[in-house]
Amino acid sequence: MADTGTEAVAELAEIRRRQEQVIKAGLVPFWYWWVMAAAIVVIGAARDSGDLVVEAVVIPLAALVMAVLAGTKIPEVRRRVKVYSAPQSDSRVALATIGMIVLVDLVIISVAGSLVANHVHHPGTIGCAAGAAVLVIAGPLVNAYSRKVMLRQARQQLTNATQAGGSTT
Amino acid sequence: MSTARFDELIHAPTRLEIVSLLAAAQWADFKYIRDELGLSDSALSKQLSTLESAGYVQIRKRFVGKRPRTSASLSPAGRQAFEQHVAALQRIIARSQQNADAGARPSSV
Repeated sequence: MADTGTEAVAELAEIRRRQEQVIKAGLVPFWYWWVMAAAIVVIGAARDSGDLVVEAVVIPLAALVMAVLAGTKIPEVRRRVKVYSAPQSDSRVALATIGMIVLVDLVIISVAGSLVANHVHHPGTIGCAAGAAVLVIAGPLVNAYSRKVMLRQARQQLTNATQAGGSTT
Repeated sequence: MSTARFDELIHAPTRLEIVSLLAAAQWADFKYIRDELGLSDSALSKQLSTLESAGYVQIRKRFVGKRPRTSASLSPAGRQAFEQHVAALQRIIARSQQNADAGARPSSV
């Protein structure tokens, strides 16, 4: 039995450390956003090339990279561990992710659209680069938000346990 | 509502690590637990069997393609025991703080 407060503190610290470990493992890695962003820029550049062969080869290839990455990395993360979370936390994280995707699309469309309207060269590349920049910033932010929501929930779990009545045996 | 109860089974260092990991997860893959905790297959199997025998852990075996996959999760009883153990730890901390405060207070003559 943990006879002293010091031992109990160490044990609780260990529990928190393991919680954080699980939550971290449940998130997509940092480089994921950079690869996705690079693929978006490649699509924009291919569109601007005006070469039908380049468009026909590069755009499906980049889209394939994105699909394969999303289709393998996310299930790989899910295969290892499924973080314990309440439905409301899941929905908040899902909303943040959808919001990020919508934001990236809006940035690409609005930047590229305004560049086309102003007859600026390489509107696709610049528009996609702007969207990619948003993705590499917003992706890790969504990760951080997810981590925060899940950690708060994990802490709540410990707090609820603490508030439970009764005596130690 | 659960009561605070110090659990000797969970208190053992390796089992505490396993249960803490599983408490934060709905389920976790056997390999993931093994790698995160730096245990051997046999050591983890032994600890999981002990926890399973106590009714704290549920082991799920399934096939993904032709590969067998084993995952573990805390049972409702395991989750409750974990929460009671955490409550007991907090109680020990609170009590030792109270004792320290009482010891620090100058005694009235």
